[in-house]
Amino acid sequence: MHSASSIKQKFLKKWIMGLQLCNSSKKNMTIMERRKAIKLSADLALASVRNYTTRWSRALVASASQNDDNQALLQHIIGSDAAKHKKASINVVANSTTSVAKKIASKKILKRSWGIRRVRKLSNGALKDPPYSIAKRLVKKRTQLLKNLVPGGESMDAISLIEETLDYMVWLRAQVDVMRSLARASERLDGK
Amino acid sequence: MNNHGTTTITGGNDASVFERQQERMKWQQEQSFLIVNDHQLPNIMLSSMQPFQGLVGNIKPDPGMENGWPNFSNGCDDQFPPLMADQNTSKNSSLVSLSPKKRKACENLKLKEVSKEKEDKDKKIKGCSEVISTENSSKGKSKVTEIKKQDFIHVRARRGQATDSHSLAERVRREKISERMKYLQELVPGCNKITGKAGMLDEIINYVQSLQKQVEFLSMKLAALHPRLDIDIDNLITKEMFEVSTLGYSSEMENSTYFHLNSLLEMGNNQIDMMLRKSIGGPVSIPETFVVSSNCYNQMQPSVKWDAELQNPYRMEFQQESSALPYQPQKITGFYEGSNLKMEM
Repeated sequence: MHSASSIKQKFLKKWIMGLQLCNSSKKNMTIMERRKAIKLSADLALASVRNYTTRWSRALVASASQNDDNQALLQHIIGSDAAKHKKASINVVANSTTSVAKKIASKKILKRSWGIRRVRKLSNGALKDPPYSIAKRLVKKRTQLLKNLVPGGESMDAISLIEETLDYMVWLRAQVDVMRSLARASERLDGK
Repeated sequence: MNNHGTTTITGGNDASVFERQQERMKWQQEQSFLIVNDHQLPNIMLSSMQPFQGLVGNIKPDPGMENGWPNFSNGCDDQFPPLMADQNTSKNSSLVSLSPKKRKACENLKLKEVSKEKEDKDKKIKGCSEVISTENSSKGKSKVTEIKKQDFIHVRARRGQATDSHSLAERVRREKISERMKYLQELVPGCNKITGKAGMLDEIINYVQSLQKQVEFLSMKLAALHPRLDIDIDNLITKEMFEVSTLGYSSEMENSTYFHLNSLLEMGNNQIDMMLRKSIGGPVSIPETFVVSSNCYNQMQPSVKWDAELQNPYRMEFQQESSALPYQPQKITGFYEGSNLKMEM
């Protein structure tokens, strides 16, 4: 009970910190820039609150660190955690896109070899069961979609993908809640 | 005993049958070897398109082979060994890549064979499959190729340990996946009635997409509201309490909109706690920080009730956002929490 709301408070705090940094660094941002900054700070705050123990949180940070513009923000939000989570910061670096791409490529090669083997063996027509193959195709398509949605999902197998999705959904929900309440409060304040 | 076998087999040519017969003699000492042996008989039949019931009728099992016939279902299970007592569902899930003929065959035998210490036999299968594969290689490739022509699935079983652990691992993997899909079903609103992976995945994808879009939308909204990105958080907290009080639920009843916001956030809290509580037994990545606080709380939340509560306020939230109702004055109940935050900052 208390822990969940305290998590939200921590998230809020980090998020606001990030925003203040952005504000101090750049003056007169356009609305698009502001939106980007807000979203970025929110994502990084979420990842840091999650303590980088999950794949998606590390992937969020990794993708943010790809962009050089974000370095200051990264340092600010993530830097304070680096001492606590040395391992996590190393993982963050390790999760860079090149290694992910390699993982994906090697998995594809493996899958292709399995597939060839299977086709040769089952050429007698075992796969001609239409409903089953259709279902399998559907599921494959959707897992691919899900992989694209969840940050860092490309290089995960099905089981860990589902776990990560579970976790990600819950925390994403918390993020949405906090953002929504902040937006509503700001709206009310401005409205008066 | 073996003449019995030879006279009734009509599918293969004599030479192969004789060879097999010799093998059988050798293997009849070990019960588990009969598993592979019996693969040969019905598989030949299958490939020769005889109905399976006829197969059972034709080949009267001799006493030495009596063990073999019940073992066939285990042999069938050799490819998809059942690990748990719950046979039917696991069977259904595991037989997906078989041809319909073979599936029927296995299922028919399943009906005949009631669970007879299957786990022990499975272990034996595991232990002996190694031996079988070595024996196979020692016999030379002719046998393997011959059988390859007749029934490809048989070869797969003969590959021995690799296949065994592979199929076992497959089964374990599938069960893990379905278990986690159940968690997901509880989390995603409105997924109670949907069964099957594809539909569930669809819902999950929609949900995650909608959440991400909400984040985008809200960040846009905030950007529009704050021209200079200076969010005066202290001011916000003191004037407009938007941080949730986890207690004092009933005191907010007077204000319906606020109640819904609170209940939504509450549901969010419950959700996180419940979810993490459940998954503590599972993956390591779920944080341990929630363990302490969640004991007293979560056991009492039945998921059905939670779900219903969740859906209603959630939908009403959306409606309120879209219609932009004016908000009634708030009661500052969570001031304590707000001041905490203030002190932290």
